[in-house]
Amino acid sequence: MALRVFALNLIKTNRNLLQSSGKINGGCNVQVVTSAAYATQVTVEATPAAVQKQKVSKAMKAYLKRANEHDEFMKTQHLDFQIGKRHLANMMGADAETFTQDDIDEAIAYLFPSGLYDKRARPAMRSPDEVFPARKAAEFDETGRPFHSMFYTGKPNFFQLLHDIVTETKKLNDLEERMLRRGNTPDDNQKLETAGFQLLPKEQLERFLVEHIADIEYQSFCSSMDRLIASPYAYKSRAFIERFLKPLIDQSKQLEVPKPKIDEQGRQYVTTYECLRKTARADVTVRLPGTGKITINGQDISYFSMEQSREQVSVEDLMYPIL
Amino acid sequence: MAYACCAATKNILRVSQLTRLMSVYPSHYVNPIVEKNLQSSKGNELSHIPIKAAPNDLNDTIFYGQLKQKFLNYITKKGNAALAKELLTKTFEIIKRTQIERLNLGTADQEKVITDPETLLVNAIENSRPLLTLSAIKRGGVKYQVPIPLTERKSYFLAMKWILEAAREKERKVKLPDKLAWEILDAACGQGRVIKKKDDLHRQCETNRAYAHYRWS
Repeated sequence: MALRVFALNLIKTNRNLLQSSGKINGGCNVQVVTSAAYATQVTVEATPAAVQKQKVSKAMKAYLKRANEHDEFMKTQHLDFQIGKRHLANMMGADAETFTQDDIDEAIAYLFPSGLYDKRARPAMRSPDEVFPARKAAEFDETGRPFHSMFYTGKPNFFQLLHDIVTETKKLNDLEERMLRRGNTPDDNQKLETAGFQLLPKEQLERFLVEHIADIEYQSFCSSMDRLIASPYAYKSRAFIERFLKPLIDQSKQLEVPKPKIDEQGRQYVTTYECLRKTARADVTVRLPGTGKITINGQDISYFSMEQSREQVSVEDLMYPIL
Repeated sequence: MAYACCAATKNILRVSQLTRLMSVYPSHYVNPIVEKNLQSSKGNELSHIPIKAAPNDLNDTIFYGQLKQKFLNYITKKGNAALAKELLTKTFEIIKRTQIERLNLGTADQEKVITDPETLLVNAIENSRPLLTLSAIKRGGVKYQVPIPLTERKSYFLAMKWILEAAREKERKVKLPDKLAWEILDAACGQGRVIKKKDDLHRQCETNRAYAHYRWS
């Protein structure tokens, strides 16, 4: 009698355990079927995958929520920008359909004149894509598996870039090997022009990659790029390299060549005002069918009493200023 | 964080140059190229980089000499460079006159007599350059005079300094251009006070060569 009760109690506890275990294991989805009250064996049948409920982790949920919020936000910003553009066009009396960004800039400069020195501090109206920093698209799918193989580095785009640079360098090295064996030399006409360029600064690279980079990492990017650019066959990877070269401004090319005027005697002349050297200010006139004479405030070159000043630019060198 | 470009311009763009602490220029400004023959080759790169203004001391004429300019700077007192230039010009005139006289007297070897004062100044400085100097190094409580090599810059500096020092040790009535002219002529010929000073120093270094290893502990 006691034994049977004991056995019954055991079965009951077993059944309870199985049922509760079914509740605890969320992904288990097991249905417990007991064949008989006295049986100690339990047959388990797993449900088919199609009926399985999607279990999304909290991290995934939070990510999706953030992404959706951002998308909604950007949509409203775009809408606001479009409406604002039309209002502005209306205010300026221009056609709303053909109102370009340049027109917007002009209109804002007219309506909100600013004396601030830095142009970036002045009021401006730009597309939300330019104003708000870019965000990465979904980096992993619903199961949580990342798309990029280097996702777990934390900076997949950056390290992918470094790998790409190395791949290109190896390709060029192999090409150089083959060319040397054939006795060929690199084409000098196609040589990569690097004189007027510098490598993309750190901030711009960060914006390009949509990732934050440490200083050391930026330095390794620079040295890798230097290596690639230094290769004699670098022009073969021109498209790849030029993405990371930023042109430097050439001040001399920005200067406008003034048009010569004609004076009473029919000679051409050009006058440049406010020529500077230290605290000296001069208005210089150069005449085309010239005599070679120099007149400074009515005096000749002896206006400069110091020999050092006269030695600065000799008469033949007047056309070529000291850099 | 400085930026980099191709290997040839690495030094210009990437590494911050030896800038002066209180320079009016930001660190990325580079020095100008004054020599016209170098402007075409290197000027192309510099057209994209901000350049400091060229100093008034430099120019690309036949009248400019780097060593001569340095010598002028050492003669200059209280910023009176114009006076220094006048004095050096007078010195050169005296040197020229002396040498022409020697040439015309015909006593010495005619080809060997150099009349160009700029050349003679350079020769004088080169002849009076010390190669080693003595440095007091303490070992075991005793200070030994150890011979150590001089850098090129330091040796040129010492040569010019000694020439001027010798020229300034004069009587009140004697003018600097006269004395300086004689010192330069002496040094150029390998004789005189400055050469003696240099030789004495070298002799001392030679006698103390046993202590040379004290330079490194």
